[in-house]
Amino acid sequence: MAAPPRHATMQSISNGSTAQGTDRPQTQQTPQAQLSQQSPGLRVPSNRKTIYDRHLNRSRNAELSRASFAFLFGEMVTYAQRRVTGIQDLEKRLNEQGYPLGLRLLDLLFYRSTSTSSSALSSSSTSSSPPNRPLRIITLLHLIHGPLWRLLFNRAADALEHSVSPDTPNEYMITDNDPMVNTYISAPRDMSMLNCAAYVAGIIEGVCDGCGFETKVSAHNQPTELWPSRTVFLVRFGDPVMEREKVLERAGVK
Amino acid sequence: MSYYFTILSPTDTPLFNIAFGTSKGGGDGIARFRFPETAQYMNQFIIHSSLDILEEAQWTNGGMYLKHIDTYPPAAAYITAFLTPSGARFLLLHQPPHLPSSTSTSSGLGSSSLLGTAGSTTRASSSSIAANPTSPQTEEAVRQFMNEVYESYVKTAMSPFYKQGMEIKSPVFRTRVTAAGKKWL
Amino acid sequence: MPSNTRGVFSLIIINKAGGLIYQREFQSGLRNLSTNDYLVLAGTFHGVHAITRSITPKIPIAQPAPSPTTSSTGTTAPTASGYSYPNPGVPVSGLDYLETDKFRLTCFQTLTGTKFLLFTDPLTGSVDTIIQKIYELYADYVMKNPFYQIEMPVRCEAFDRHLGAWLRGRA
Repeated sequence: MAAPPRHATMQSISNGSTAQGTDRPQTQQTPQAQLSQQSPGLRVPSNRKTIYDRHLNRSRNAELSRASFAFLFGEMVTYAQRRVTGIQDLEKRLNEQGYPLGLRLLDLLFYRSTSTSSSALSSSSTSSSPPNRPLRIITLLHLIHGPLWRLLFNRAADALEHSVSPDTPNEYMITDNDPMVNTYISAPRDMSMLNCAAYVAGIIEGVCDGCGFETKVSAHNQPTELWPSRTVFLVRFGDPVMEREKVLERAGVK
Repeated sequence: MSYYFTILSPTDTPLFNIAFGTSKGGGDGIARFRFPETAQYMNQFIIHSSLDILEEAQWTNGGMYLKHIDTYPPAAAYITAFLTPSGARFLLLHQPPHLPSSTSTSSGLGSSSLLGTAGSTTRASSSSIAANPTSPQTEEAVRQFMNEVYESYVKTAMSPFYKQGMEIKSPVFRTRVTAAGKKWL
Repeated sequence: MPSNTRGVFSLIIINKAGGLIYQREFQSGLRNLSTNDYLVLAGTFHGVHAITRSITPKIPIAQPAPSPTTSSTGTTAPTASGYSYPNPGVPVSGLDYLETDKFRLTCFQTLTGTKFLLFTDPLTGSVDTIIQKIYELYADYVMKNPFYQIEMPVRCEAFDRHLGAWLRGRA
């Protein structure tokens, strides 16, 4: 869908549509509604279906072309690579591209698991349906490790670990042996530190932030013999989160 | 019963608000607050003042629907909250009409709305939603309303032209919320 | 087929300008050339291929009624209206393979003009399958790599890895 134009002709089309025409009197009943509704400029597609008319679960089990994703993601990397100063800058840009997606996916994930009783969430979280918002770190990480990964990549992540070092109790690691975004990407030798899964790290960061957990997430290469593109996502929670975690633990919140 | 519904971003920016009245029990869906001249800003004031309670409740209750969280007795305003996973807050203020049992019936209301409410209050007293804002039936009706708005909200959030924290201006969204209010409240 | 185990010696990829962009030896058996010689080989082959393409003979059309529709099928033959390529539906391909008793060179040209040269043992069967797979891997791991610049030398670690693994799996 193109950006909504502000042409008067388009307005007359939308006003003439039957769906809009019948609904309009309802909105006029509330004076406040009318106030904030200045010049809608609404453009309805030719089939009269806006995004609100489409069911959110319609594409739930739809398959996407891996090739088209690879080309799209390749272009995103190329785009992010323009005018960057270095690898860190490039990873930061990829991270920023992923962040808003994380916020959106969070809502979609919960919507899909509430609207259908076969909850993909219940397998990992302790609660049964309806799923709860994650309040504790472990619940949140399980949400990312399981349902979010399944929503994105159709499988769970490969490992979830807590930092063993006592100095960094706020660090957690999520491991993906073969990140889908990196399937076709080979970084040049002079950029061997680069991991384009920084985009996925951004998604994780968005999910955590959306849930109210201030986080920094970064992607690191940890190749093994068997998994050359194995990636570890290092999740670092902020101090306020750790403090709240202690309070919630004392309060016995699960 | 009159309602004031608002959506606030995680950083307390108002994203959307609408006022409407009950459609159950012969209601005509027009909001008639008890103090019409101050309702416009008082409603927002009351709703925002409940945010502190909401922020406490959100870390003890993991559900999305937090039910009735706050009451403001001077205006007989009841606040019900729903929290999306991404941190947007849906807040609904509901204010029951003056019940016939109170001293003088609908004389406190504006004379223009006398006919409409007189009819609705008598019938509404039998309908549980209007009579008791904290009854389980009301909570359930609000839950249904919230879930329906949540669906529309997710659709809005999934739009590539919508950024988190932007005001929701879509007239279709407004229509959807109005329809949900008509259906459940 | 037992001949499948016989080897694929090496692979060369030539861009559409005739430059060598990839060279890899999988199995010894051919004498090694210096890097410079490989560059010359690529350039020379590119030229020879172009010549073989343009000398593809035309055969007279059996029906002596040169209509404009038949003449338009031969893309590079605007003058010879009474002649056509042996198979008018297929564009002229030029040199397809070159065989000696020690090795066989198979050339595969993509639609964009990139050439894959595969040196195999003359007894190796189903070279077409091998070359198709190599093309597939190239399309996946080279063309979908955001760090690959078109027409430039191929330095994609994932391509090397998958190519090697697939050929090892065959052997």
